[in-house]
Amino acid sequence: MADEAAFELSEEGAPVLSLRGDWTVDTIASLELEMRALAAKLVPGAALDVSKLGRFDVAGAYLVDRTFREGPAGSERIAVRGAHENALALLAAARKSAVPPAPPPERTHGLQGFFERVGKAASALGVEIIETVGFFGETLVVLGRLALKPQRIRWVSVVHTMEVAGLNALPIVMLLSFFVGLVIAYLGARILGDFGASVFTVELVALSVLREFAVVITAILLAGRTNSAFTAEIGAMKMRQEIDAMRTMRIDPMEALVATRVIAMLVMTPILNFAAMMSGIFGGLLVSWWTLGISPAMFFARVAEVVAQQNFWVGFVKAPVFALVLAIIACRQGLKVGGDVGSLGSRVTASVVQAIFMVILLDAMFALWFLEMNW
Amino acid sequence: MSEDIAISVRGIVTRFGKQTVHDGLDLDVRRGEILGIVGPSGCGKSVLLREITGLDAPTEGEISFPNADAAGRVPRLGVMFQDGALFSNLTVLENVEAPLREHVALSDELRAEIAALKLSMAGLGPDAHHKRPSQISGGMRKRAAVARALALDPELLFLDEPTAGLDPISAANFDLMVKELADALGLTIFLVTHDLDTLHAVCDRVAVLYGGKVAALGTIEEVSAGATGWVKEYFSGPRGRAASRSAGGG
Repeated sequence: MADEAAFELSEEGAPVLSLRGDWTVDTIASLELEMRALAAKLVPGAALDVSKLGRFDVAGAYLVDRTFREGPAGSERIAVRGAHENALALLAAARKSAVPPAPPPERTHGLQGFFERVGKAASALGVEIIETVGFFGETLVVLGRLALKPQRIRWVSVVHTMEVAGLNALPIVMLLSFFVGLVIAYLGARILGDFGASVFTVELVALSVLREFAVVITAILLAGRTNSAFTAEIGAMKMRQEIDAMRTMRIDPMEALVATRVIAMLVMTPILNFAAMMSGIFGGLLVSWWTLGISPAMFFARVAEVVAQQNFWVGFVKAPVFALVLAIIACRQGLKVGGDVGSLGSRVTASVVQAIFMVILLDAMFALWFLEMNW
Repeated sequence: MSEDIAISVRGIVTRFGKQTVHDGLDLDVRRGEILGIVGPSGCGKSVLLREITGLDAPTEGEISFPNADAAGRVPRLGVMFQDGALFSNLTVLENVEAPLREHVALSDELRAEIAALKLSMAGLGPDAHHKRPSQISGGMRKRAAVARALALDPELLFLDEPTAGLDPISAANFDLMVKELADALGLTIFLVTHDLDTLHAVCDRVAVLYGGKVAALGTIEEVSAGATGWVKEYFSGPRGRAASRSAGGG
């Protein structure tokens, strides 16, 4: 293996620095400080003896050359004694190409830097909101244009997206909603049972699943599953200049990428939502049957009797709204991806976070509105 | 003379499904030479590079580094990928520092200085140090990638299509830089290329991959003189003739 790097300085007459062992990038670390201390002793006329030098590389040559340059001799040519296979060439190469690293770009620290960052973040948030609203409008215009000319809709990619982002999410959406239905029914049976009103579990399950849980669970799941996929897909296309290529071919990315995804989600989200409603209620039905002895026939009769159709529609109308908002956020973040990997990561994060935030915010606004309207 | 062989490739067979890319390929890369690998698209040039560098395993056959094995060392490789493959979330200087930071314990100061030296050897000045890979041109990215490949002073340097996508002047300068580095540092270079000018300007020997084997091997004059079939078409087509004329004239 590598011989340890070492040196000795003979100071009789003109100093001679003799190198021993291997001077490579792996071995020079321990010598750095000693070499720095040595520099002052290398007066003009100092020589370098390489006859006992083992392996030598650019890093080693640089360290030796730097020591000589920092000494009193300055950038005088180094007098090399002894023979070595590549020492001369490497020392010359290191001398020729040595440049100090550029000073890092200035950053503001402390209080000023803090306020600067806060200000930047605040103005970025403002820009983000304005741009999102602008993109929303742009998408609506494109959708309107496509509604007038439906033959321009790319049905193949719409259907493909419907399968990947919609149909493939069906099992997980139904499963989650089923569990939520189960849990609500258990809670209802326990708490309402204390008041002797456990039969109202049916209403509790049906109301909460139909009005809120089914659609919110669907939307949050899509925000995690589909938004990340859409943003990463479009972002990767942006990074590989595929979107620039489309523009030069006069293919509108808004039409080819954004509209297809929005349409696919507008179709699939209500379907997923409906499936989530059904499986959630089914979960509640099972618990009512086991723990309260309410038969499925009776369960459905009560649901039909007490829970008005209105509750179904209150939940159902939210689905396309969520779909539109989610798809638009995902596509906009994808199109904002820049040239580096970091921006892809931060845009995918932003896409999912904004989507979940908007789902919950919109749901709260819907809830207020529907309660005030007494629906 | 086995001690002069840096890379020894013996009986390499590579199959992807039913497609056979290499069919019993033998190749020796001598220490200190610049070996150019040419061949039609899809003949397995880049696959061979990936196999030698250990990124992919061949279906059959053996790749060894006799020179390093004899000295009991693991050969140190530097690879420049076609588009540079610089880490896009680091600056140019940090990219070159990355392998140093990972493998050797140098002070921050010396590490940055060595990285700056490598960049300067590859022809990039301090202006580029704190730029991101996405902020510099394709040619500069390739130079930064060479500097990063050289960061740990490898004995073997692999260049994948180093001049692809560069304008002729940048390409010629890049060739010059490779030649200078090879001379100054005594590098062994394995160079995959399509660029006939690079072959003429830089390579000591040329290996032509065709039909899953090395179809021809030797200096470019030898290879083009004894050429038949695809090799002949390659070297004596209009581009081949122009490149050999300009190399002869210059």
